[in-house]
Amino acid sequence: MQIRSGKTLSPTALDALDNGIIELLRVNGRATNQEIAEKLSVTAATVSSRLRRLDELGASRVVAVTDFAAHGYNVLIAVGVKVAGREVQDVARDLARLPEVFSVNIMNGPKDIEMLVALHDYADINVFLLDHVAGIAGVDALDPGIAADIVKFEFNVAPL
Amino acid sequence: MSSSTYRLDDLDRSIIEKLGRDARVSNRQIASELKVTEGTIRSRIKRLQAEQLIQFTVVTDFRVAGSPNLVMLGIQADPSRVGGLAKQLAEIPEINCVVVLLGRYSLLAMGLFTNIEQVNALIFQRIRSLEGVRDVITSVSVHNVKYEVGIARITGDKD
Repeated sequence: MQIRSGKTLSPTALDALDNGIIELLRVNGRATNQEIAEKLSVTAATVSSRLRRLDELGASRVVAVTDFAAHGYNVLIAVGVKVAGREVQDVARDLARLPEVFSVNIMNGPKDIEMLVALHDYADINVFLLDHVAGIAGVDALDPGIAADIVKFEFNVAPL
Repeated sequence: MSSSTYRLDDLDRSIIEKLGRDARVSNRQIASELKVTEGTIRSRIKRLQAEQLIQFTVVTDFRVAGSPNLVMLGIQADPSRVGGLAKQLAEIPEINCVVVLLGRYSLLAMGLFTNIEQVNALIFQRIRSLEGVRDVITSVSVHNVKYEVGIARITGDKD
């Protein structure tokens, strides 16, 4: 059973050359178009136009992922939010506007919303939860958990 | 949370900012914009990669991957087994993220799934059966409102 029948981009929209380029970029995202072209026996111009097309399709993209530490974020918290007296969607949108919040999902589960938040230090937790989040209309209860260790964090599928 | 002890300077931050906007921008272009040599840019990026402060990955759009839903698993476990369980969970390829949590749950695991039977099989056959797991609380995302792909914890062995 499908959880959701969302918009799906047909994988057939990508051919062997597209997939070859993507595979090489997975190994080295900073490889030049010329280096990729030589490995796949095509011209750099072809690689360049294929990459532009993948980007336009919104199919895949090379991204620079920076560590939380590169931004001075030393604390990660996972917060469950219960909503009352307001549309969950509206509360989620307000939460998404907070710069410290890097992920917001509307959930089917014990909580209405789950968010992941990156903060500079422990002292920021109080200010963030009690001043910023609790002040948003419709936020009824907060259930925060502090990350003691991030063992794995590998998302290579995301909304582009 | 463990992290690099390397202190970034303004040049590092400027490079990170440019790569964040376009990960494919050439070293030459960054160099000319920041008025330093191409070699400086090359060695700075290399150092940031070695310190696990930046990495370059290909991200596939949700739609190409069949529009999966994020599934969050809150796991209550025997405290003496949390460390070992975290490693075992991290070895499961379908699980993208494993966090040892204080409060709420012992562990938080996340994965992207297109199919509810797959989630069920994973929980019942491979997670509940792990020694020390007491309870698994499942929560399915029905709508992703925000996700910043450019920031994460870079794990794995240093070069």
